[in-house]
Amino acid sequence: MNVDTTGFLALLRREVLRFLRRPRNTFLPPFITNVLYFSVFGVILGERINEIAGVPYILFILPGLVVLGAISNAFENTSFNIFHGRWNRYIEEVLTSPLSYQTMVGAYVLAAAIRGAIVGTLIALIGAFFTTVGVVRPLYLVAFGVVITALFASLGVVAGLWADDFDDLTMLNQFILRPLVFFGGVFYSLNELPETVQQVSLLNPMIYMVNGVRYGFLGVSEVDPNASLAVLAGLTAVVITLDVALFRRGYGLSE
Amino acid sequence: MEPAIEIRDLRKSYGDVQALDGVDLTVPRGSFFGLLGPNGAGKTTFINVLVGLVRKSGGEARVFGHDVEADYREARDSIGLAPQEFNVDRFFPIREVLEHKAGYHGIPRERASERAEEVLKRVGIYDKRDTRFDWLSGGMKRRFMLARALITEPDLLILDEPTAGVDVQLRHELWETIVDLNQRGTTILLTTHYIEEAERLCDEVAILDSGRVLDVATPEALMDRGTDDVVVQLREEPTAVPDFAARDDRVESVELDGTMLVVTARQGGLVAPEVVSLLDDDGHEIVDLEIRRTSLEEVFVEMTRQGEERATPEVSSS
Ligand SMILES: Nc1ncnc2c1ncn2[C@@H]1O[C@H](COP(=O)(O)OP(=O)(O)O)[C@@H](O)[C@H]1O
Ligand SMILES: [Mg+2]
Repeated sequence: MNVDTTGFLALLRREVLRFLRRPRNTFLPPFITNVLYFSVFGVILGERINEIAGVPYILFILPGLVVLGAISNAFENTSFNIFHGRWNRYIEEVLTSPLSYQTMVGAYVLAAAIRGAIVGTLIALIGAFFTTVGVVRPLYLVAFGVVITALFASLGVVAGLWADDFDDLTMLNQFILRPLVFFGGVFYSLNELPETVQQVSLLNPMIYMVNGVRYGFLGVSEVDPNASLAVLAGLTAVVITLDVALFRRGYGLSE
Repeated sequence: MEPAIEIRDLRKSYGDVQALDGVDLTVPRGSFFGLLGPNGAGKTTFINVLVGLVRKSGGEARVFGHDVEADYREARDSIGLAPQEFNVDRFFPIREVLEHKAGYHGIPRERASERAEEVLKRVGIYDKRDTRFDWLSGGMKRRFMLARALITEPDLLILDEPTAGVDVQLRHELWETIVDLNQRGTTILLTTHYIEEAERLCDEVAILDSGRVLDVATPEALMDRGTDDVVVQLREEPTAVPDFAARDDRVESVELDGTMLVVTARQGGLVAPEVVSLLDDDGHEIVDLEIRRTSLEEVFVEMTRQGEERATPEVSSS
């Protein structure tokens, strides 16, 4: 194995072990939250809600909950690990090594995407416990899964470099991520909104992720899945390029 | 062959503070090089430019011929750094921290594990291998910093105040390890403000003050610039003493206090026999003679005090 691969795998391993060894912090919270979501929204409320786009409400919200869990965990992994590493300066172990900036970013992003994928899968399994769910378009599911976890992992890199304290990260989560998710068509269909609100909603990138993953599971989508995938993949490439540029510049990393 | 470190007109400013103000320095391969300077002189900034933790504002810096920015990967791979401030991954036991660090430098996993054991044994904390850094005692933390710097078998080992707050015994152990490495060919760059440490260990030292190199020389050469005291105890209080300064221009001052005569001179060891013979010629009986050699510390304090007069003094806590 060459030196670059060894270095990449070492950082990837560190980042993956970091969350695998603390399942109570990484896997238990989404587990509990999603059991609650499925019970309350799916079972208790879902009974009184009509089918949406021809699927029962509990099935309709499942892909959205998967997306929510996957992206917030991917985002948290990079943003927290990079911020915490800066805060306690141990990120210097990485920065003073001969890893290229691309390799550093690649390992951080991939590890976070893996965490997002694990949590997403976990949520799908919880959903399968409450209702019968199949995967109608597996390739789309995988493709959207990869792209959205990578996108939020790479956005997390920017956040982790930008934040000056923990409150900054909390703020991003509360004031940006959460509203986008809740207005992103996780819990309702776009068709239920007035025409103008629908148009505005289409500016929310979350709509495309939720619908893409919904297409993967259920084979139904309110927007064109191919176009969504292309745009999201393009966006991910842009953010990763930005990450590498920020590392090269030493933004938030060197004085 | 290129020197271990080659620096030309290196500059770093933090707003109005010139942390490095045009540093020129060459550290030869294989040397044990000391970077001395009071707090805030710019030592840590200098080191951090080499490993990429500080972006230089100007000038050139090369490590074994590799530019620290253009060829950052080669430059960083040749350096092992034990920094002044602890910066260790606190989520993993120290053995794994070492394995990860080795991995980042491209060392395969099996070899990395072996190396980790080796260096932990070498610095004497092998039995703590499964402990996390936070739970180590202060001395063990310093040992670990050295172990982590050694894990990648660097050609250039940089130690930034490695013995700060360390007890005498550990200090001597660390010195022994470092001297041993140097004898096997590793270039050492040591910063310290314990001057005695540099005097004992270094082949060559650079004196840094307010971001400028005041001087580069061997510790001996620097000490020759200071003045020694030749202290002579006479049996009887003399009425007059010979005019030593007229006979030897290395003599800077003469003081008589009762029966004790103090002749202050450069290279006191060489001046002493002359002092004795002149006194003897004049019929004074000598009961005791002592040469108080200047310390590097005194020379250092003198040099950096002059430096402070030149530049505006900076107040610094680091
Ligand atoms: N991050 C920083 N921001 C502003 N000033 C700094 C920073 N780091 C160091 N300095 C200043 O640069 C000068 C050199 O500091 P440093 O390199 O730590 O000195 P030394 O290691 O010799 O004690 C000091 O005046 C210090 O206050
Ligand atoms: Mg310092």
